[in-house]
Amino acid sequence: MDFQYKSPTFVSIVLCAILVAGMSAFNSAHSAEVKPAETQNAQPVTDCFESRIGYSSVTRVENANPKYGYPNVKCSQSTGAVLWWADPFEGTIPMGDMPEISDDTRGDFANAVVKPRQPQLMYFNMGPNGCESCHEGKTVRYPKDTKPRLIGMHQDIVENSLKLMHGRGALWCLNCHSANHRNNLIDRQGNLLSFNQPQKLCGGCHGDIYIDWRAGIHGKRIGSWATGSKKRWWVCTECHNPHTVQVARFNRLKPEPPPPLPRGMKNADYERAGEAKH
Amino acid sequence: MSEEKIIDLKDEDELRQGRRDFLKHVCTSSAAALVLTTTPSEAVDSASNPDADATVAEYFQGHFLLMSEEEKLKAIARLEKRYSAKYMKKTTVANTPAPDGVLFGYALDIGKCIGCRRCVHACVKENNQSRNDPEVQWIQVMKMPKGNIAFTADQLDKGYPEKSEFGDYGVQVGGNAYKTAGLSTEDAQNYYNDELVPDKDFFYMPVQCQQCEKPPCVKACPVRATFRDHAGVVLIDYNWCIGCRMCQLACPYHARRFNWGEPNLPAEEMNPKTHYFGNRPRMRGVMEKCTFCAQRTREGRNPACQEACPVGARKFGNLLDPNSDVRQVLATKRVFRFKEEAGTYPKFFYYIG
Amino acid sequence: MKTALSFAMDFGSYAIKGGTKYYAWLLFLGFFILVGSYTAYLQFTQGLIVTGATDQITLESFFASFVFTAHVAAAAVLVVAPGYLYHRKDMKELAVIGEIVAMVFVATGITFVLFHMGRPDRTWHIMPGIGYMNFPNSMLAYDTIVLNVYLILNMIGVVYMLYKKYVGKFEAKQLAIWFKPIVFLAIAWGPLIHIVTAFVLASNARIGSWHTAVLPFAFLSMAGASGPALIILLFLLIRKNTKLVINDSVIDLMTTIIAWSLGIIILVFAAETFTLLYPGTEHASSLRYTMFGHNGLNMYVVWFWGVMVAIVGSFVALLFSKVRRSYDRLLPLVCFVVFVAILTEKPMVLVFPAFSPTPLGEYAEYHVTLIEFFNVLFVWAIGFLSLTLILKGAIGILTGEVRHDKSAVASQSGA
Repeated sequence: MDFQYKSPTFVSIVLCAILVAGMSAFNSAHSAEVKPAETQNAQPVTDCFESRIGYSSVTRVENANPKYGYPNVKCSQSTGAVLWWADPFEGTIPMGDMPEISDDTRGDFANAVVKPRQPQLMYFNMGPNGCESCHEGKTVRYPKDTKPRLIGMHQDIVENSLKLMHGRGALWCLNCHSANHRNNLIDRQGNLLSFNQPQKLCGGCHGDIYIDWRAGIHGKRIGSWATGSKKRWWVCTECHNPHTVQVARFNRLKPEPPPPLPRGMKNADYERAGEAKH
Repeated sequence: MSEEKIIDLKDEDELRQGRRDFLKHVCTSSAAALVLTTTPSEAVDSASNPDADATVAEYFQGHFLLMSEEEKLKAIARLEKRYSAKYMKKTTVANTPAPDGVLFGYALDIGKCIGCRRCVHACVKENNQSRNDPEVQWIQVMKMPKGNIAFTADQLDKGYPEKSEFGDYGVQVGGNAYKTAGLSTEDAQNYYNDELVPDKDFFYMPVQCQQCEKPPCVKACPVRATFRDHAGVVLIDYNWCIGCRMCQLACPYHARRFNWGEPNLPAEEMNPKTHYFGNRPRMRGVMEKCTFCAQRTREGRNPACQEACPVGARKFGNLLDPNSDVRQVLATKRVFRFKEEAGTYPKFFYYIG
Repeated sequence: MKTALSFAMDFGSYAIKGGTKYYAWLLFLGFFILVGSYTAYLQFTQGLIVTGATDQITLESFFASFVFTAHVAAAAVLVVAPGYLYHRKDMKELAVIGEIVAMVFVATGITFVLFHMGRPDRTWHIMPGIGYMNFPNSMLAYDTIVLNVYLILNMIGVVYMLYKKYVGKFEAKQLAIWFKPIVFLAIAWGPLIHIVTAFVLASNARIGSWHTAVLPFAFLSMAGASGPALIILLFLLIRKNTKLVINDSVIDLMTTIIAWSLGIIILVFAAETFTLLYPGTEHASSLRYTMFGHNGLNMYVVWFWGVMVAIVGSFVALLFSKVRRSYDRLLPLVCFVVFVAILTEKPMVLVFPAFSPTPLGEYAEYHVTLIEFFNVLFVWAIGFLSLTLILKGAIGILTGEVRHDKSAVASQSGA
């Protein structure tokens, strides 16, 4: 349908031919361009995930905000990733107490909220009392030897449990998981920490990242942009899996579809052609 | 900025007041006839629309910024009525002013960006772009080769001039000379369609409107349909734009998009919470672009692209507030502006965190 | 008032009278106007999506054609200036033809701009008073002003000169005192519209290949070639088919101007090419793409070299006096080649390839659609139709076949 630009001489010579071809082309062009695309009306994706698959999942609820008829989230048609939140604070709880830092780094957590991590943890939710459903000291005894060693725990449910590693093998399970309080994490001073507040544990070693995170320049925060107002913070384990940092730091993920090609262009192979040159 | 302010967006009753009786004195049948002769499409609209007078009134409305408060309310009421009817859901068109004492800025970490394009599509979900024919996206992600794949030993003796009596290989023209590496648009791929991202030999750089402090588009617009608001965001009055595309020619960031045809926005995908300068549905033949989600940011909430980013590479905030995320980035990271040499002074910063 | 009415009546009735060939030409144009009305309707109802323009290549053939009409309109002063500035007797009466060409081509250019606009129905937004003109900043605002002023100046000149001739008071002392300044202003305004049009393009830092100081020079030299080429063709046609006397000296002057202008075009091209290609910075990407293609995209290569061959070839041809004096064969051929070469240079070399690479490194090819192509022909057909009719009437007045004093016409035709 596209027509190479030709000089007026050409047109005057093949005038009639162009006319016949032209009029039919107009009609086809016309019908092609006003045709609405049915493909857009596919059913919305309901099983969605935030950030990465398996880290936290969300179910789309229609008309969650009756005022605008919004669903709670809008998800990608091709990947299922949550792209859009109607209410950024849906399902959040206050972050809880956070230690003050006495330099000029911001530590304003007054209006900080997080999505609790515990409901998202697969193994935590296998019993009514979390991990302590089994690890209560009787069904599974508390370990007496706390020296790092390779243990074959949970190979039935955790595929790669023998490969889990943090700090290139310098740390092992009980450095972070409390031996006697399995529903909690434990920091180096022996304080018990909630799974909802992993930042208190991670920050102990990863101080530079922790400072950036507190200042709002590492990690993700949504909600209000204004300082001091309500924000939903993403905590460490919403993006990072501390068990697999050495084996698979981040799994690669499926991208959203590319932009439309400029009208008239058949492909963008010239971009790839440049790559072959390297 | 309370939660209520973010979610419960506007006092709507205020806008309803202007709706009554405004049609009576605005239009005449002769004005309608003029519109009918000048634009066949408007004619179709007004013929099928029982409220043809409102169409005429919309046609003759002036620049939004030059309207009186009363006229603004009327214009907004007109639009809300039209959109609500067209998309079969109650649509609000806000006129929230930009906050005072705020200069909006953006920072994006290209060290973290993985090129997943979620920002691109979140933007489309929020901002009512035409979904297809034309498909409009305000953000475009460039995939650029890292240096590690650029240079190869077998290219050492390629190129011109060849090895000479001087013993060296002279100035390499060809061979390794023709290798781009790093932040260069030269070999950027905008249409990459990989199975998985990020590609280890590439990095990614999303580009959208850079909200320049010295915007060449504002300078180029012959009718001032595009302008900078006092929070530093460049906006467009879609009802004032004449579609000459001089701004698109002037923009060194390829940030502006044109509605080449009638926008194709399915009613069920339409976002009914809109702003006059933000995401309200556009018409054929006008320019549009990123507004930092005027409908959100003017009411305290982050832009849609910032919320969609899965790796937290996007930071938005007030450049005048030393504690804002953006200012923290500027203070502690190495930032740069894209195409600094264009002399546009963007408020969109890139950094490698 | 009565005289004015009879002027209009006589002018109009003479303009629509002619031989078979004349009507065939009008019919030929009418055909394109007919087809174009439909395609224009499609464009104005569906939007610019019916053209090949995209966000990557945002200017279509309309804008390219507009630049070309500005070429010709600016060049028309080359017919007016010799008569008024150098007092060449053989050209003084022909000045009005130059002004007619300028008037028609500016009007055609403005029509092209209307086709280029996404919302032509909102044109009133740029009118000061009812709309808002971003005057000191926007180059398009300047262009709007200079084009419309040029149109008005030439309309005044054409109507006034023809009217004076019509009533038989054409001697220098019978012309009004305000007329001469208008003519001189129009002469100065011709290059001005062109320089401003060049600045409309050159002001965009985004597009590297226009962001150059030679652009106005390139435009003026192209105007100097394409305008006189058209005017020579017109003069040769007029001389052959009407009683109007046009001396060889007039045509020789135009030929000289074309030759010089072609020489300057070649210099400007060479200078630009050298300046970009030798250092080989990123600014050369667009020119390299036009000249040699990019990774398999090489649509413009053949157009670039074709235009270059045509321009250099015409320049060389015009160095031979045998060609210059071949008024009925070689010269019109060369003029036609120059005209067509610069006409095609506009979209295929100046405008479309300049958009690649885009600021984000995209390369794109522009595919003109049929609807767009017929819309371009539509505007051209309207332009040439008006040119034909106005020139025809004007020739009637210049030759004295149309004049207010009817007895004089009778005596002349009787004689």
